[in-house]
Amino acid sequence: MSELDSSRASASKIKTYSQKNKWISENLSYRKDTGSRAWILHRITGLALIGYLFLHIYSLSPLTQGREAFDNSIKMYTTPFFMVLEWFLFAFVLFHSLNGIRIVLVDWADGARYHRQLYWISWVAGILMFLAMGALMFSHEIKGLFQ
Amino acid sequence: MYKYKGTKDSGGRSWLLQRITGLALVVFMIGHYVLMHYTPESGHTYDAVLGRMQYSWYRIIDIVFVTLAMYHGMNGVWGIFRDYQLKTWQNYAIVSAIIIFGAAFVAWGYVIIFSIPYVNTGSALVTP
Repeated sequence: MSELDSSRASASKIKTYSQKNKWISENLSYRKDTGSRAWILHRITGLALIGYLFLHIYSLSPLTQGREAFDNSIKMYTTPFFMVLEWFLFAFVLFHSLNGIRIVLVDWADGARYHRQLYWISWVAGILMFLAMGALMFSHEIKGLFQ
Repeated sequence: MYKYKGTKDSGGRSWLLQRITGLALVVFMIGHYVLMHYTPESGHTYDAVLGRMQYSWYRIIDIVFVTLAMYHGMNGVWGIFRDYQLKTWQNYAIVSAIIIFGAAFVAWGYVIIFSIPYVNTGSALVTP
């Protein structure tokens, strides 16, 4: 039996289960592989990023009230806690961007042949870029440590 | 006899737009992150924003950026809903909500961008 046949057989087996209260388990029943992990992470990071865009527009709205209002409201976001949050937001941006590029390559550059390698390459590149952004964002603090 | 009853829209145009906006956003996002964080002040003070907004082309970039990001995000959200077999009225409700919320927040973004004044300093680089 080929791989495709066996996956079809297991898919039809799933359908015979009671559909009640199976929504979550059905949605998590994909075979865990790089492709399905990339898919679910792309979805999660995408939802987080669109949520953040709404927050971002809201948090910049004091710009309409002039310098004092904006500088007061933005102060909160310059605390170490929010800077770390912003840094981790970049991790979400990175995953979504790099995986998006991976999808483009799969579609347009014969990437189906090397999509697994692309997945792991994007993780390595992403972690390196994440650390580089950390060095950029916290360069002030890092410099302070050595003074 | 089979009679086609669907819409003519296969989603192909939506897919292509999602891809184009996605690729554009990668470029915008790199610039945005570096510019906002290369000094602690560059992204977190009114004066830094005021300085940038003296350039009209910078305002245009911001307008394009927020529009593309919102389009890409909202189209993505709609794509998630399309994974589930929803009733027609549910689809209409979701699309309406997506368009209204998306358009409202993009409009809010425009208002914010245009609320920042051009200041007469002779040089855009000089902050008053």
